Amino acid sequence: MKKQHTKLMAAACAGALLLAGCGKKDDTLKLFCWSEYVPQAVIDKFTEETGIKVSVENYASNEEMLAKLLAGGGAYDLIQPSEYTIQAMTKEGLLQELDQEKIPNLKNIAPEFRNLPYDPGNKYSIPWMAGFVGIVYNAETVTTPIVGFTDVFKPEHAGRIVILDDSREIVSWALATAGIPVNDVSDQNLATITPMLKDWLSKVKVYDSDSPKTAMSNGDTDLGVVWSGEGALLFAENPKFQWVMPAEGVHMFVDNLAIPKTAQNKDKAEAFMNFILRPDISKMISDEFPYYNPNAEARKLLSAEQLNNPASYPPGFDVTKAELFTDIGEQASKVDELITTIKVQ
Amino acid sequence: MAVTAATAALASGPSPQRRAGLGPWFALAPMLGWLLLFVIVPTLMLIVVSFSERDSLGRVIYSFNIENYLRAFDWKWLKILGISVWYAFLTTVICLILGYPVAYFIGRSSERVRGLLIMLVMIPFWTSFLIRTYAWISILSQEGLLNALLMTLNITSAPIGFMYTPFAVVLGLVYNFLPFMILPIYTSVEKLDGSLIEAAYDLGARPARVFGQIVLPLTKPGIAAGILLVFVPAIAMFAITTLMGGGANPTIGEVIQNQFTKARNQPFGAALGVLLLAIFLFSLWLSTKFRRGEED
Repeated sequence: MKKQHTKLMAAACAGALLLAGCGKKDDTLKLFCWSEYVPQAVIDKFTEETGIKVSVENYASNEEMLAKLLAGGGAYDLIQPSEYTIQAMTKEGLLQELDQEKIPNLKNIAPEFRNLPYDPGNKYSIPWMAGFVGIVYNAETVTTPIVGFTDVFKPEHAGRIVILDDSREIVSWALATAGIPVNDVSDQNLATITPMLKDWLSKVKVYDSDSPKTAMSNGDTDLGVVWSGEGALLFAENPKFQWVMPAEGVHMFVDNLAIPKTAQNKDKAEAFMNFILRPDISKMISDEFPYYNPNAEARKLLSAEQLNNPASYPPGFDVTKAELFTDIGEQASKVDELITTIKVQ
Repeated sequence: MAVTAATAALASGPSPQRRAGLGPWFALAPMLGWLLLFVIVPTLMLIVVSFSERDSLGRVIYSFNIENYLRAFDWKWLKILGISVWYAFLTTVICLILGYPVAYFIGRSSERVRGLLIMLVMIPFWTSFLIRTYAWISILSQEGLLNALLMTLNITSAPIGFMYTPFAVVLGLVYNFLPFMILPIYTSVEKLDGSLIEAAYDLGARPARVFGQIVLPLTKPGIAAGILLVFVPAIAMFAITTLMGGGANPTIGEVIQNQFTKARNQPFGAALGVLLLAIFLFSLWLSTKFRRGEED
């Protein structure tokens, strides 16, 4: 008898737990976004205006986001993938089509950022911010002219370089230098650039994707190949940190908002999309994270100082000429292994 | 030692009084449940995934092949593992050398002082280890506090690059893990029977002999526990090593983390994880042997 009683109790407890877990439909908007990319003030203002509560969870790479989303942990309503991840996810049917009537503010986005090849007609995504990967250097300590990647990885700069800890990025710089399209990561092309990468990486002091500006502003490195937003923050901190768009070729990234298939609050997610496309809100994002704002109406609100930051808005640079990453699928693992192999040599 | 003796007595044979009803099981249930949910099930999942494959998005395709393990035995991963073990070994030795005298001093001081000192050892835990590591960056960087001090005192003329070196990595690890060495040794020292030490002195032993023949053997369980608590997590640590080392010499923890978050290759990451687990089990076995040794 006693035993049966225990079993019943256990069953009741398990039942209660299950009920508590899925009984009530959760009406919080669950945002799964990059760390250091969505200002808290924007989220607070959204909740204040619409009454919709937002919970935020962060990730540090597209792959991390994919892994968590596909593992089914947490039903996210809104995610923030980069261009090549949008491409991979739509191919696998992992994103919901947007109801464009609910996102009228999409008209604020500059024409060159609408209808991009990874998502024709913006069926699945709206752009958040764009940016470039370029060179930043300390003009007080580096006196030779820097125009491209080959200037960065010169022998005299050995041990004074910080670069992004991102294998795909690193490989793309070498591909561009060798005159190979950055998305062409075939085994043969990887073999071609391996000697160049060995030479380059032997001179690197720090690998950091999260905050490469730290090593620069602390004086531990003199040159960096970093995200343009980081370069812009460094330039704003001290103009001795000069920004250069690499002569070998510039890769542009576009981060977006999209709604995964498993989302439970599509309407709210679309409301948030429309909200951040408002010029005044988009400006708030630019104020905190000075990347290239694809929102043409928001750009009109920016200060001259913001617009003249050469890392945020490189003068004379035609964004339609910059190359976008496409998804490379399983090759990602090979690219990562190549870089790791070279690092430990 | 008393505890191990008691367990040995328990294990030697069931006595009628020991045959309790369901009561103990109820008491144990939360812990057993916790172990099952958060240790056994995840470990089994790790093992299953380590034999699997993955698709182009990194989703795990369950299958059975040993390819991930074959790949893991490549020289570069073994070299990375070797470096990680070396860092962990250095960390453990330095923690032991620095931690033992501290733990001994705390353990032998008066009860009132003892509480205060132990609290001082624990205070760093009030702040996240990540924040404390970032603090080290602002101390050690070229325009940081330490270089400013050295240059003001005219000890050096140019800033020294402390950061992003093996030195910085080991410093970060030692700083983070030192309390885990002090606390178990302190517990052993606190339980030391003072009369044994007095007796040794009365019988004419010199301090070195008292330490070697009385204190050291009696605090061996604490040392073993401390070594385990420092060495094992130090091998797999990735956050501190990345922040302090700059990622140029990745540790095995960083490589495993990469497989899950960047390379879309969970099965390979899992295989490396299982190998690491095997090393942990081996060091656990070594440490139990070490503790047994003191009973003989």
